[in-house]
Amino acid sequence: MSTITLKDACKSWGSTQALTNINFKCENGKLLVLLGPSGCGKSTTLRLIAGLDTPTSGIVEIGGRDVSNLPPVKRNISMVFQNYALFPHLSVEENILFGLKARKVPKNEQKKRLENAADLLGLSNLLDRKPAQLSGGQRQRVALGRSIVAQVSVCLMDEPLSNLDAKLRQEMRQEIRALQQRLKMTMIYVTHDQVEAMTIADRIILMKDGVIEQHGTPEDLYNRPATAFTGSFIGNPPMNILTPDIEFMEEFSSMLPPGSTPSYLVGIRPENIVISKKSGLKSSVLAIEYLGADSLLQCQSGEQAITVTVKGKTEISKGDHLKLNWESKHIHLFDGKNGKRIIDSARGVTP
Amino acid sequence: MKFWKPGTGRAIETIGAWMLGGVWLLPVLFAFWSAFHPAQFSTSFELFAPLTMDNFVRAWSYAPFPRYLLNTFVLVTLILAAQFVLCTLAAYGFARFEFYGKNVVFALVLLQLMIMPEVLLVENYRTISILGLLDTIPAIGLPYMASAFGIFLLRQSFKTIPKELVEAAQVEGVSAVGILWKVYVPLARSTYIAYGLVSVSYHWNNFLWPLVITSSVNSRPLTVGLAIFGAPESGVDWSIITAATVMTMAPLLVAFILFQRQFVQSFMHSGIK
Amino acid sequence: MKTKFKLGYWNHVNGWLLVLPAVFMISLFTHFPIASNLFHSLFSMGTVTRPATFIGMENYVFLMDDDIFWKVLTNNLIYSMCTVPLSIAMALGMALLINRNIKGRSLVRMSFFTPTVLPMIAVANIWLFFYTPEYGLFDQVFSVFGGDSHNWLGNPDTALYCLIVMVIWKESGFFMVFYLAALQQLSPELKEAGLVEGSGKWYYFRRVTFPLLMPTTLFVTVNAVVNSFKLVDHLVIMTKGGPDNASSLLLYYIYENAFSFWDTSYAATLTVVLVLILAIITIFQFIVVEKRIHYQ
Repeated sequence: MSTITLKDACKSWGSTQALTNINFKCENGKLLVLLGPSGCGKSTTLRLIAGLDTPTSGIVEIGGRDVSNLPPVKRNISMVFQNYALFPHLSVEENILFGLKARKVPKNEQKKRLENAADLLGLSNLLDRKPAQLSGGQRQRVALGRSIVAQVSVCLMDEPLSNLDAKLRQEMRQEIRALQQRLKMTMIYVTHDQVEAMTIADRIILMKDGVIEQHGTPEDLYNRPATAFTGSFIGNPPMNILTPDIEFMEEFSSMLPPGSTPSYLVGIRPENIVISKKSGLKSSVLAIEYLGADSLLQCQSGEQAITVTVKGKTEISKGDHLKLNWESKHIHLFDGKNGKRIIDSARGVTP
Repeated sequence: MKFWKPGTGRAIETIGAWMLGGVWLLPVLFAFWSAFHPAQFSTSFELFAPLTMDNFVRAWSYAPFPRYLLNTFVLVTLILAAQFVLCTLAAYGFARFEFYGKNVVFALVLLQLMIMPEVLLVENYRTISILGLLDTIPAIGLPYMASAFGIFLLRQSFKTIPKELVEAAQVEGVSAVGILWKVYVPLARSTYIAYGLVSVSYHWNNFLWPLVITSSVNSRPLTVGLAIFGAPESGVDWSIITAATVMTMAPLLVAFILFQRQFVQSFMHSGIK
Repeated sequence: MKTKFKLGYWNHVNGWLLVLPAVFMISLFTHFPIASNLFHSLFSMGTVTRPATFIGMENYVFLMDDDIFWKVLTNNLIYSMCTVPLSIAMALGMALLINRNIKGRSLVRMSFFTPTVLPMIAVANIWLFFYTPEYGLFDQVFSVFGGDSHNWLGNPDTALYCLIVMVIWKESGFFMVFYLAALQQLSPELKEAGLVEGSGKWYYFRRVTFPLLMPTTLFVTVNAVVNSFKLVDHLVIMTKGGPDNASSLLLYYIYENAFSFWDTSYAATLTVVLVLILAIITIFQFIVVEKRIHYQ
């Protein structure tokens, strides 16, 4: 069993607090994504699990065992690094076998595992090459190979696809997901790309400034963002976060939950906004971006910028005045002070 | 992995580094100790032995150290100035122009990296004497003024300058000389500093060639002056010799301590090919 | 880089004009003396009354029979074989020691590097005193352990090794700098991958760090070998090659012949040998550099 648990893990360097009270559990055989903007602490969290850094306080458990003070090698993990960390002077084969040789795994066992991994990753005819002679995708596979032959059940991935181009990234993430499920690995995967996170994860932890903003399934994060930050981070284009003024409140009181005050933040996704003939938030179109299947309208209402998604090519042109409307079930209400989601008693929705 | 006891292995290494560092500094510290204390303390260590400047005063009076210092200073400046001019021109030629025989000439230039002028001191002495420059400061510097090392470093540095910058300047109508002066030289500034420091320390410390080519106080640099002063047959007191030694190395040492990072980086820079 | 500069013709002229001053100076003090050295080695020593005459290979025949030459050459080989690997090993060790965040790192680095910026002459003066019988540091340390006084530099068995120890002290810090530069260019990710993969310190050093430092080691080795042939300043101060040529090196023997015995034609002959040795090192370097694997 290789459930990974962090209990009140904190990490600080001098006076800078990198992580504050990180608590989560990643169940055996699941793929958990640590997501967040750069500097949010996601990589640091991964390094605590790997043992490349030790927590200032708190506990890291792998498979129920406290590993907080164990070196990486004793944690039974493998890791894929952002720049692959392939040894430039060693061939693909030697790179893959590096750890097995270090751990003195018997020769025939090494050979078996190498063949397996090479088969699985389509590296069989590249074994003699040096990393410099490989494409980005191939290097990525070698890095994966190194973690497969280790035959450990925990695999940590630090932005493994960030050096690949868009098309390859999509292929590789499917491959990684398939591999993870096939080998039943417990995987923790760090990325800053919310699309990658949404498509690959069983569960996502969204982090910001060293704390966990939200921990849930991809659907949770999309449908019930726990904070305004989550709302605007997940989804493309990002959720509109509006600061309602008094005028707005008067006009939309019917569309807001009872008791709303201007200290709220109103979140509404661009794809949930409809253009209405009759009533709605008055706004003017500043720019139109045509994306093929959709068009994005960049609108302005008073001080607020609002993005609206419409299907296909639109008749609307720059400078038009529109009335924007939406169904109340699509509204996400956040506390204006701390950005936290507000329990919507009217709809019985809890964040 | 036993070494991963948080702290212990690391502490042992740290202490090891300090001890080695201490041992390494010992000879220099000793020289300073001996130079600033009366003669009887150069062989016995007493923490509170009286400090004195007497050794310096006497060394100063026994030999014309100010003159030696001036000679070294003139020498180093002369060499550096000539090197900058000659090496810049040549490096520019090698980096930017295609001409017949370029590769062969460049290879011939690089030969000087391996066979330095001091190796050929017999013949170079002959050449200098034919030129009638024996026992002059320019004679000490002459063989080093065109430096393969400098040409090589600057050429490498010039080659990394993006072509777009040069082309942009060309579009603006800047001449070839203007491009050298306004684009290449400013952008290679760090290489000039690095090379300058390496060159100054080399020639401040150089000895064998100046020894054979100089024969009077008028041209002798510090190193040669010190060697003659410190020769056992001169019969001078040990602590006075250390005072003279400290004087010889102090200017460079002080510069090094003040600009430590710059020095170390320059030497690094000059080694990365 | 084939940048057209107006006319191809001007390219050639300008290129040549730019490199000419430096090339002329270098030829005058490197290539010309190599040739003229070879030439002079074929002549007898000229005196005021008797001009130098062509004697063919006679100087070389003399050289083959010159016991001192063989002695000096052997010394130089021992000297190189000791100073080069030891100072490189020392340099690598130092670089590894301070290539991490330890307390007082820059102070330690400074003390390692300090000997590099000192004149060899000053260094020789200081160490001369260390080796002084009875009063010197070494004898004082030995006497604490009940050792006798030694005439370190006056004893043919120890003189050369005394110089070797000093040169290692002087040069290690210099070579360390290149290792430090190279180590800093190694990605920390590799180190971490090594940790995760379970490689111990020694295993990682042997399989990753050392091979990746190979280009630096080569560069430093060539430098160190060349230095061991061209730097003899300390001999002038410390031993004058003695006792009985026990610590003499090739270039010092050349210097002695030329400027003490004024036998310039024999000095020229010896110089030919030295140039040959340096040429062999150069050729070796080129061959290895050509073969060098380009990792990136």
